[in-house]
Amino acid sequence: MLRVEGLHKRYVTDEAEVTALTDIRLDIADGEFVSLLGPSGCGKSTLLKIMAGLIPASSGSMAIQGKEVRGPGPERAMVFQDYALFPWMTVLDNVGFGLEARGVGKAKRTGTAMELLHAVGLQEFAGRFPHHLSGGMKQRVSIARAFAVDPAILLMDEPFGALDAQTRQGLQDELLRIWTARRKTVVFVTHSIEEAIYLSDRIVVMTARPGRIKTIITLPEPRPRDMATSEMSARQREVRAVLGEEISRAAALEQADMMAAG
Amino acid sequence: MSIAQTGPAVALPQRRRRRRGLSRDTMLGGGTIIAFILVWEAVYRLGLMPTWAFPSPWKVVLAFAELIEDGRLLENTGASVLRQLCGVVLAAVAGIPVGLVLGASSTIRAALLPLFRLIYPIPGIAWIPLAILWFGIGFKSTVFVIFFSGIWSVIFNTMTGVQTLSGQYTDVARVYGASRWLYTRRVLIPGSLPFIITGLRLTYGVGWRVIVGAEMISSITGLGFLIDDARWQLRPDVMICGMITIAMIGWVSENWFFDWVERRTVERWGMKTSNA
Repeated sequence: MLRVEGLHKRYVTDEAEVTALTDIRLDIADGEFVSLLGPSGCGKSTLLKIMAGLIPASSGSMAIQGKEVRGPGPERAMVFQDYALFPWMTVLDNVGFGLEARGVGKAKRTGTAMELLHAVGLQEFAGRFPHHLSGGMKQRVSIARAFAVDPAILLMDEPFGALDAQTRQGLQDELLRIWTARRKTVVFVTHSIEEAIYLSDRIVVMTARPGRIKTIITLPEPRPRDMATSEMSARQREVRAVLGEEISRAAALEQADMMAAG
Repeated sequence: MSIAQTGPAVALPQRRRRRRGLSRDTMLGGGTIIAFILVWEAVYRLGLMPTWAFPSPWKVVLAFAELIEDGRLLENTGASVLRQLCGVVLAAVAGIPVGLVLGASSTIRAALLPLFRLIYPIPGIAWIPLAILWFGIGFKSTVFVIFFSGIWSVIFNTMTGVQTLSGQYTDVARVYGASRWLYTRRVLIPGSLPFIITGLRLTYGVGWRVIVGAEMISSITGLGFLIDDARWQLRPDVMICGMITIAMIGWVSENWFFDWVERRTVERWGMKTSNA
């Protein structure tokens, strides 16, 4: 169980103090797939980075299995929006990087990495460098790298945001397949309503800045989900209605910022 | 089933496209060099310069044959190249770690950069008299001068490489709990390599330009010595031989060696951005 309690995040810039997150309380069960959905600038990526331990919270706490954590830990892995693969390492070495960091020997590293490359269908590309790969393939490598360290919690920061619609759909299915097989807790940041509904057990809808949790929507529908059914369409309308006001509020905020800056 | 086939087919890099015959650019470049030699010959034939100070191209060729035959060319070239290599390797060994540390720590940057910025503009040649006092005439003082004139470009370029490295790579290393050593070895150094190579290229160039001056003053071997010594014998043809040798070796190593390193590393990794 991942528990976030009373979490706040403030940024201090030269001109002003910006509150990015206010009073975030969230319990995520083991093996659960939770999406963080919100307008741009709502702090959902910030929240994910705090969960990863990459940036500190201003106040509040986070606990995993009842133990308070600060900073990164071996039970968490992260997938970044623009893949963040090392261009100077082969695909195989990239997938094995997390294991290398944990001091796993070369033979075992290669074995695990190959197994995961098989799982994402990229075993043929093990010896290639990332720049030979398409965006979708790069993100599959990045997902394989995250699964290679066998984390309990997988944090994904808009992982499919930069991909075209078709590739995106394929990767969503693939992610669900691996997730079903390995049952990790997934926290998935997205700004796509459809993606959140298609993937998640629960959707955490966040407000425009400062980011608060507006509501949490539970989706008991079994997978694979057919987005064309009237049931799922109703879901989409429901989420869109909740998110809609936040999106227009975020746009108004952004406009005010521009006016102030100009 | 997997969806391995969704991405576009991966194209192999099309580098192995070597042109047959001479390209337009090669012809233009070569033509200018030939024209230059023709003008040189013309100036000689027309007597525009005193012949004792201005040899014809052919006399230079003959001098080359003489220097090759009596072994002086090989000996002096060898001496210069050895000093150059020692100076550049020392500059790399010392400069890369210093650059990495400077790039990674703003505290150390604040402490050291003002001093470095103060020393950096001193031309390498200006160090020669002091180097002779410290190390005597010969190998050590020349290497010291090459080292000291070249180390700055390695330091500053490596530092820039570290500073411009994407923070995301650091995030990945932190998420997976990489040790400082693994991070340095597997992320920081290869990630800054485009800049490190540029720095070494400059170091090499600066060293090769400084070595001649250093050898004229503080040495009794080397290409600089060969050139300077020819002055006493009134042999401008020998001087020009030394100059051409310097040009050739500089050209070969700067373009050929460093290009090779780049092809093996940053180009292979798709990290080379410009430099067409």
